[in-house]
Amino acid sequence: MNGIFSKGPAGMAGPAWHARRIAPIAVLAVLVSLAFWGSDYLLSIMILIMCYMAIGQMWNLLGGYAGLVSLGQQSFIGLGGYTLAKITQVYHLPVILAFVLAAVISVLFALLISIPVFKMKGVYFTIGTWIVAECLALFFSTWSFSNYAQGYTITATYAFSTAQIYLVALAVGVGALIVVMAVLRSRLGLALMAMRDNAAASEVRGVEQYRTKLKCFLISAAVTGIAGAALYLNQAFIQPANAFGISWTVSMVFIAIIGGMGTVEGPIIGAVIFVLLRQALYNFPGISMMLLGLIAIAIIMIAPRGIMGIIRRKTQFEIFPVRRHPSA
Amino acid sequence: MDILLQSIVTGVLLGGLYAIIGVGMSMIFGIMRLTNIAHGDIMILSSFLTMFFMQHVIGNPVAALLLTIAVMLVFGFCIQHFLINNVISKGDEPALLVTFGLSIIVSNGLFLIFGPAARGVPTELIRTNLINANGISVSSMYALNFVVAVAVIIALSLIMGRTSLGRGIRAASSDTLMSELLGVNTKRMYVYAMLLTVTTASIAGMLVGMTFTFYPTTGTQYLIIAFGCVVIGGMGSLVGTLLGGVILGLAQLVGASFLGSAYQQLIGFLVLLVILAVRPQGLLSKAVRK
Amino acid sequence: MNTILEVRDLGISFGSNQVLKSVSFDLYENEILGVIGPNGAGKTVMLNILSGILKPGKGSVSFMGRDILPMSIVERTRLGFGRTFQIPRSFENMTAYENGLIGSVYGTGATERAASLKVPAILEMIGLSDRKGVFAGKLGLIDRKRLEIGVALASNPKLLLLDEVAGGLTESEVSDILGIVRGIKEAGVSVIWIEHVLQTMLEGTDRVMLLAEGRDVVCGPPEAVMSSKEVETAYLGA
Repeated sequence: MNGIFSKGPAGMAGPAWHARRIAPIAVLAVLVSLAFWGSDYLLSIMILIMCYMAIGQMWNLLGGYAGLVSLGQQSFIGLGGYTLAKITQVYHLPVILAFVLAAVISVLFALLISIPVFKMKGVYFTIGTWIVAECLALFFSTWSFSNYAQGYTITATYAFSTAQIYLVALAVGVGALIVVMAVLRSRLGLALMAMRDNAAASEVRGVEQYRTKLKCFLISAAVTGIAGAALYLNQAFIQPANAFGISWTVSMVFIAIIGGMGTVEGPIIGAVIFVLLRQALYNFPGISMMLLGLIAIAIIMIAPRGIMGIIRRKTQFEIFPVRRHPSA
Repeated sequence: MDILLQSIVTGVLLGGLYAIIGVGMSMIFGIMRLTNIAHGDIMILSSFLTMFFMQHVIGNPVAALLLTIAVMLVFGFCIQHFLINNVISKGDEPALLVTFGLSIIVSNGLFLIFGPAARGVPTELIRTNLINANGISVSSMYALNFVVAVAVIIALSLIMGRTSLGRGIRAASSDTLMSELLGVNTKRMYVYAMLLTVTTASIAGMLVGMTFTFYPTTGTQYLIIAFGCVVIGGMGSLVGTLLGGVILGLAQLVGASFLGSAYQQLIGFLVLLVILAVRPQGLLSKAVRK
Repeated sequence: MNTILEVRDLGISFGSNQVLKSVSFDLYENEILGVIGPNGAGKTVMLNILSGILKPGKGSVSFMGRDILPMSIVERTRLGFGRTFQIPRSFENMTAYENGLIGSVYGTGATERAASLKVPAILEMIGLSDRKGVFAGKLGLIDRKRLEIGVALASNPKLLLLDEVAGGLTESEVSDILGIVRGIKEAGVSVIWIEHVLQTMLEGTDRVMLLAEGRDVVCGPPEAVMSSKEVETAYLGA
């Protein structure tokens, strides 16, 4: 059995095949080593790129592959963040437990809300998921268990160095990428490919629409919840209004659109652009968001498959192949 | 008992305000099958404009409103002609995401210009009561909201039903291909529909600005409320939007009278979620959604 | 002969339009039943009911003794229903090979690994093995029709529903398809085959049923049905 990243097309051998196998390992090695020689400023940017790439991948899994355009992914960011705050700040338990619980709670909550929101189709689903997130924001500001609107300062963060937080973020980012690749290369990925191509025909061929979409919804909830915990480990302060704010999903949508919806490489490119642009205009947060909005609109109008789509139109370039090839 | 009665009265009146927020969204949905995610921000943009004009150009609220409408018509023309019309035929998703981008641009633009502070459109009406008897009070502002909402919805229904402009817009919505064969310029009709929409949004923006404080980011709150009216009333139905607004307003205030005002918005959203899940085609509409 | 499919008094209306009034027939194991009838007789509607796309207004359908009407499209596929469409519904942005994988993996519940061993043989059988890697959207009409049969076969069907697979093809292409369908029968699959072209039905089927004005008018050996007065009436008018 070949690894997720290494399976090249049939008959492909020689240098290209080796490059495909070795390159990811080399890149990963460089990224890990960064923790030991990178400056704090570089690391803090890399933390954001990794976390945003992870949540962008998860939004893309829903919006770009499963046909579920959600504006409510901030629910899971908030749940992940609050799990971290509660576990470390209130119960003084280890951070790793918070990450596990962030995934569990996010999946359970996703399962619960799937009952109403999966009855909604198209734009109703889009707004429905958003309303769920707004409900969470309102509920958490009136809930004593989550310390009302004051939220928490997450002091556990102070025990970590920037390099350590970077390693956590790297694990989350690379983990998200592996999850997406594993999904797309599995039976589920085959179903997603067929469903995106022709939903009615895929049903006749035996693809269960509801179950396929639900699986994606749960997977993306789990990873987004974990990424939420990582983001708040970095941010060290949580309140309902920002934890469950739409701006999280705004960034996911922009990352996926700019990089290229429905491609694995897209959210990576998108996250780098998103974080760097925001960082460059750090003192003018409004301007960077307006600029990103303009870029996103321009891309939808001119190149609907994003930067990755432009690259693909010219070349066969692909770092993470998900297509199937007969073995003989 | 008095508290409940008061909640019902206030809820119905608040529903009128909700309906005038929602009516433009309903039009856009009914005519071009587009859920305009920027609707709430467009409305808050007009709240800011009206406030600005009243403070710096002309004190008279009606004159300020007219100035706002003039600016918003240009804005509405631009977003429809240059943006939405170019993606509307590419399927639901691109158009939806374009309005999403627009929403972010408008709210961040307002943030940049006006800052994060809470704002309001100055008026005496919010402090006076029209009726104050038997423990029931009716705020003049709320009463005005409701009257204006009903008037706007009637006017809009008349325009859509009785004028050649309305017939043209409706023709463009019912069968795009057929109406183009008949010589109706669909894209132009979409522009007209957007112009009507920004006009109602300007009026709604001024009323909201007089009734509540607002921030550059308030638009999304009102988007959900507008969406609620439109969904409950059945997408695209103007009179339905009024009923949708009233139902939402009543749910919020009656619910809050039992559970406390902190839960007012949460109850409204939960009611909306339940309706979306149980009857996604709206309470009043028989039409099957797509 | 064992009955594999039992259809009784099937009916459906769209508004006031009664498309199927009453259709009853049996399909035997390992048989090719041809269904003919003029345009608008309700042939495709009948197939859509059988594969679960439409819910009938009345009647019953049992497949190997089981009532299948409450079952979803997917459940019927898993139970052994394969189907092609008049206008091929291939996955256009997927290769012929990937199309086959979908049929096998989701039609039978096989692992992708097991399917990857089976699909090449099916592509071979339908004559597409040299075009495995071509996107379905780039295939010509005949190849897309072949591919549809292949994707349906990949799900190991017990019953194959063919909707006008010969329509729009040249004579030699039709005889290709005839060969493929005969091969399918030999593999033990029962077939319901809707077709407009009567000649194909005469050569390719074991029995023929005439559907006209929403009813099963006559059913029997191909030659007998084709030369019957009912067919003449249905196609040429009284």
